[in-house]
Amino acid sequence: MNRSKIFFLILLIPVFAFTMHKYYVSMCEIEYVKEKQSVQIILGLFIDDLEVSLNKIHNTELNLATNEEFKQIDSLYIQYLEKHFQLNINNLPKKYSFIGKEYNSEIVHFYLEISNISELNQFEVKNTCLFKDFEDQKNIVKLKVNKFHKTFYLDNKNPKGLLNF
Amino acid sequence: MKRILLFAITSVFAITSLIAQDTELKKEKQASHYNTSKFKQLQELLPTPNKQHTASGAPGYEYTQQQVDYVMDIVLDDENRKLFGKETITYHNNSKDVLEYLWVQLDQNMRAPDSKTPEVSGGGPSVLYSPTKFAGEFMGKPFDGGFKIDYVNDIQNKPLDYMINRTMMRINLPKPLASGEKFVFKIKWWYNINDYTSLRGRSGYEPFPDGNNLYVIAQFFPRLAVYNNVEGWQNMQFWGRSEFALEFGNYQVNITTPKDHTLNATGVVQNPKDVFTKKQYKRYADAKNHFDNPVMIVTPEEAKEAEKGFSTKTKTWKYYAENVRDFAFASSRKFIWDAMAVDINGKTVMAYSLYPNEGNPLWEEHSTRTVANTLKVYSEHTFDYPYPQATSVNAKQQGMEYPMICWNFGRPRNGVYTNRTKKGMIGVITHEVGHNFFPMIVNSDERQWTWMDEGINSFVEILAEYKYDSELFPLEKYPKNIVGYMKGDQSRLSPIMSQGDNVFNFSPNAYSKPAAGLFILRQTIMGPELFDYAFKTYAKRWKFKHPTPADFFRTMEDASAMDLDWFWRGWFYTTGNNDIGIKEVKKYYVTDKPTERAENMAKRYGITADQLPPSLYLVSESSDEFSEELKSKKPEDYTVLSDYIDKNFSSNEKETIKAPKYFYELTFEKPGDLVMPIVVEFEFEDGTKERKQYPAQIWRLNDSEVTKVYPSSKAIKKITIDPDEQTADVDLTNNSWPKNTETKFDKFKKNQIKG
Repeated sequence: MNRSKIFFLILLIPVFAFTMHKYYVSMCEIEYVKEKQSVQIILGLFIDDLEVSLNKIHNTELNLATNEEFKQIDSLYIQYLEKHFQLNINNLPKKYSFIGKEYNSEIVHFYLEISNISELNQFEVKNTCLFKDFEDQKNIVKLKVNKFHKTFYLDNKNPKGLLNF
Repeated sequence: MKRILLFAITSVFAITSLIAQDTELKKEKQASHYNTSKFKQLQELLPTPNKQHTASGAPGYEYTQQQVDYVMDIVLDDENRKLFGKETITYHNNSKDVLEYLWVQLDQNMRAPDSKTPEVSGGGPSVLYSPTKFAGEFMGKPFDGGFKIDYVNDIQNKPLDYMINRTMMRINLPKPLASGEKFVFKIKWWYNINDYTSLRGRSGYEPFPDGNNLYVIAQFFPRLAVYNNVEGWQNMQFWGRSEFALEFGNYQVNITTPKDHTLNATGVVQNPKDVFTKKQYKRYADAKNHFDNPVMIVTPEEAKEAEKGFSTKTKTWKYYAENVRDFAFASSRKFIWDAMAVDINGKTVMAYSLYPNEGNPLWEEHSTRTVANTLKVYSEHTFDYPYPQATSVNAKQQGMEYPMICWNFGRPRNGVYTNRTKKGMIGVITHEVGHNFFPMIVNSDERQWTWMDEGINSFVEILAEYKYDSELFPLEKYPKNIVGYMKGDQSRLSPIMSQGDNVFNFSPNAYSKPAAGLFILRQTIMGPELFDYAFKTYAKRWKFKHPTPADFFRTMEDASAMDLDWFWRGWFYTTGNNDIGIKEVKKYYVTDKPTERAENMAKRYGITADQLPPSLYLVSESSDEFSEELKSKKPEDYTVLSDYIDKNFSSNEKETIKAPKYFYELTFEKPGDLVMPIVVEFEFEDGTKERKQYPAQIWRLNDSEVTKVYPSSKAIKKITIDPDEQTADVDLTNNSWPKNTETKFDKFKKNQIKG
């Protein structure tokens, strides 16, 4: 009962939030650094939104970015990201390593890395973070490969971006 | 004589360089162009000043403004969730014009069954549908909202001719209303109140499981549209997003509610003894003496008691509000009411909060204190808060402002609140109470220019929140909070100077970006002293009036002697962003031997190099003329300079004169479209640092690259552009010399391993 009410609240706020302290956008910056054969990923999500989603999944209060934060929070982040943030490189699904996270006022930045990429011919990203709970959520993915820049705007209806070099 | 020669040399040099350029002109014809300078004045974009809105940005001597007074009897039917009203409107035509009709806003019609609002929003199916929404959208059973008009009569109770176009009603006047005349008419209406938690909206009710409702009621009566000197009638339809444009007037409002309700509204209750219990009345009267901490008027226990019964009796709250642009009220059995007196320059203003027990302990701790802080900080930056009270009402999901009263979200869960809930709640209260100043008093047209109230208000909000809790609301996040938005895809950005219904990313467009811009103006471009005086001038000039964007832009320049047209043009009229970098650093050394450049110059005058006036020359480290020995020489080692110093300065002065030892030629690049000051931090070999700020005007003649000579007594180790990120620079990779090839990612990873 309680939860379904919260669910409604979440769905309604995005469209008619008049104070507008924030907006429902995430920013992900991906850079391919050839010298290091590394794909460097920095993914930023609003902490309060992510907390809503994670609290729901785990049916608990995780108190993100507070002194009372759940101790093994990184494992929950990794689990969430593995499900909602996926990359294909050169037509193969690639796992990334979780380097760490950083809280910057309202945003959590995740640092992820894929190593041993000597050549980048094809790149595909699927980012469905926060879509389930925030209908207006847009996930922006900026890709930088050498001098080439490309920006994907991913949303509920279009959660994937694909690029061939 | 020497001086004349020097003058001749410099001027001839200028001319010869022109000739040189001329001969290099290519054969094909170059395209001409209009004035594309980013420093071009704004005159062609701004409306021509006139006697109503002057060139200085102040109201002119022929400025006029209408007045509209309301006398209303309102009945809140809690059982059926309906609102009934009778209103008598007195319209004062203070303009110089004759009016054939009046336009009245019927905002509730936005939620009428035939509203066009749902029709204009595209997109596929929603994620989920509430039963109300499903039945409404697919089963032909929409919520029966919108005004039901019983009559529109003149003062003799004779029906008036009127026509309704969705959210606007035209009253066809029996005879034209001349300048200086007034017209009195009456409207009787009712409507079904919406459950805003499922049907959305800035007003309505929140149902509680025990059958109680919490009402936040606004846009609830037919209100006159604005007739002003720049728009004529502001009768753009209300689509649901862009807010309101309203006239000032006096309100006398009687509201009948169930007997067990607690209510507060715009204005001051005129019959407190009738509506409060004896104890409550005593506390209400006594609260005026409590300046340090909030005191209760209606206690949590009294609210809990009231929630239990559903009285069938009624009582009538009589309110009076003077010189306000709107009227709103909140009513429920669930309300606790606390109060604190605030001293605004010797005048006592009451800060109030109304909230259900569900809001505690958060609300009793922070709401009224936040109201008081907001009134104080805003008063310092604008004018003394002129109204007798300001109320913050706790309403789920809301954040909405009206004169003297506003709705704010934020509730603990199971009696516990997180820092984030607290931060959100203090933020929204500061924001909504702040709206009393913009636009409730500095009454801009919200329907047209969302940024004028939201953006300006969001800016002062930053200062007020910081004052309330500097740890929770640090200033460092501004203006870099807007960088993510500003570096976004250009096809998804709109200039701030756009009508609110038509912009992408409404929130950063109309709230954060203008606020960040004003923050940059205050902290970096103008400095707090110049900015604060000009900003205050704007607020004072336009309080209780209708300003336009031009009035703001012009006043900020008029009161500061700073030409900011370049800033308004870039930040408000375009979607450009700022990116400044350091491209190259060259070292120079001093010599008294004429360089090749100097010899060439001498040749042009037909003189030899030794005929040049006594001079020093700078030699680039990378040029052929450089020799290692120059490195060991100080400028004073050259007699040209030491003789000059000996002859011209006293021994005292000589002690203070010190020639720089190092000369750097700095090349700054500007890939960004905006112009901005260049803030540079020099770090020297001895670890000390120095800051230098070049004004934005440095970009006047070259919009992409400029060079500066920087003399220094110490060798530079590192140069950083905008080290504190105070100019919303969207790309920091070009901000340092020597170039920092380490990415943000590398840096994080390195620290991670270290840690």
